[in-house]
Amino acid sequence: MRISGFILVIDSYVLRSGMVSILNRIQGVRVLKEFGAGDPFPNYLQSHPVDYIIMSQSEFDRSHELFISKPELLEKIILLQSSHTQHNAHASILLMEDKESIIQKIQNLLAHHKQSDSENHFMKLSPRETTIVRHISMGLTNRQIAEKLFLSAHTVMTHRKNISAKLGIKSVSGLTVYAIVNNIITIEEVSSLPAK
Amino acid sequence: MYRVVLENLQLLPLLPRFKLKSGFGDKSVDEVCLAHGVNTDFFLEIANAYLDELYVPGEGLALFSLSTMVNYIKSTHSYYTDIALPMVADKIHRLMERSNLSEKEVSLVTNFFNDYKKDFMTHISQEEEHILPYVLELERQSSLEKPDPQFIQKLQSYSISEFEKEHDRLEISLEHLSELIIKYLPPFDDLQLYHQVLNDLSILMKDLVDHADVEDKVLIPRVADLERELLNKASLA
Repeated sequence: MRISGFILVIDSYVLRSGMVSILNRIQGVRVLKEFGAGDPFPNYLQSHPVDYIIMSQSEFDRSHELFISKPELLEKIILLQSSHTQHNAHASILLMEDKESIIQKIQNLLAHHKQSDSENHFMKLSPRETTIVRHISMGLTNRQIAEKLFLSAHTVMTHRKNISAKLGIKSVSGLTVYAIVNNIITIEEVSSLPAK
Repeated sequence: MYRVVLENLQLLPLLPRFKLKSGFGDKSVDEVCLAHGVNTDFFLEIANAYLDELYVPGEGLALFSLSTMVNYIKSTHSYYTDIALPMVADKIHRLMERSNLSEKEVSLVTNFFNDYKKDFMTHISQEEEHILPYVLELERQSSLEKPDPQFIQKLQSYSISEFEKEHDRLEISLEHLSELIIKYLPPFDDLQLYHQVLNDLSILMKDLVDHADVEDKVLIPRVADLERELLNKASLA
């Protein structure tokens, strides 16, 4: 599963450690680094891929200018608040909230985040590409696939290149196993193919 | 040292990469490293990264030279190609031999693993022949008073980030294989071997993820920084 990187920018040590202990219970969360009062976290952001920043209200207010110059950072902020007040961060957690509700909130965020992310990193196949993977797994050659789908051999080649780029799998055997574990083809279908 | 290993057996795959052989006696980690010409701090940094899921290599590893890292990456590659892959390949082979799988199913698995090994080798040789020498040359050039203008010129059109784009995740196919074995193949009689294969695959997957982390989160950002520095320096000269 994909791991989301968190950093904490919270002045109070007690709050920070409490937050870390909750985060460590959640699957898919990795606490990358903790920052206390006055620690220079913006430098860290430049060189590390961070998905979420959990911030105390005071640190959030102190970083006001940073968010003016980099408004996109607000998308990553989860604000720790003592009471509900208006804010422009991505999400917020109340100090009085109980453990389960905090965990639930963060899991929801991750579920959402993962979707958009998997589209980038591990792109889904188009229906046409899925059909082609199926034919490849059935042992068809490029020419046979082209005839079957009324495409030129060249187009099939292009599709295959895109498929390999998306999945990071080049070999026929690799694509066949991919097709089985993704329910594009059954293992019975593969097994019933005549031996070459 | 023996305590560290005894309490953290997951470190076993790490030892051959540093050419550390067991029979440590009562020597400390430092003494063992010293005797084998290994930088103790570097070993500890890698060991921590390896043991601690939450640990992100970077901060600590930034202290070591790129050539130290390149050496480590190379010995990790040889660990994969000479020890880890042959070991699991052999077990898969034996598991298939002793199974009730149909001929088709056996060849599906064996072809898959053979092709995987081929792709793996291509991936590694691409890194060792192109990327790593480039990193070393970059480090050498930036230590020079006057970097080679030809190198600078090359730098203007090439960057390590190109490599990042093409960096395949080698562990994904292993996950497919484990899934195939658990979900779709008929049960195996040799439970011991069956467990070993799945365990080995899972350890190797985790190892590959850690290794990719070292490359993507430590090596590449540092190389990118160095590229920028060198280009800056050249434009000022």
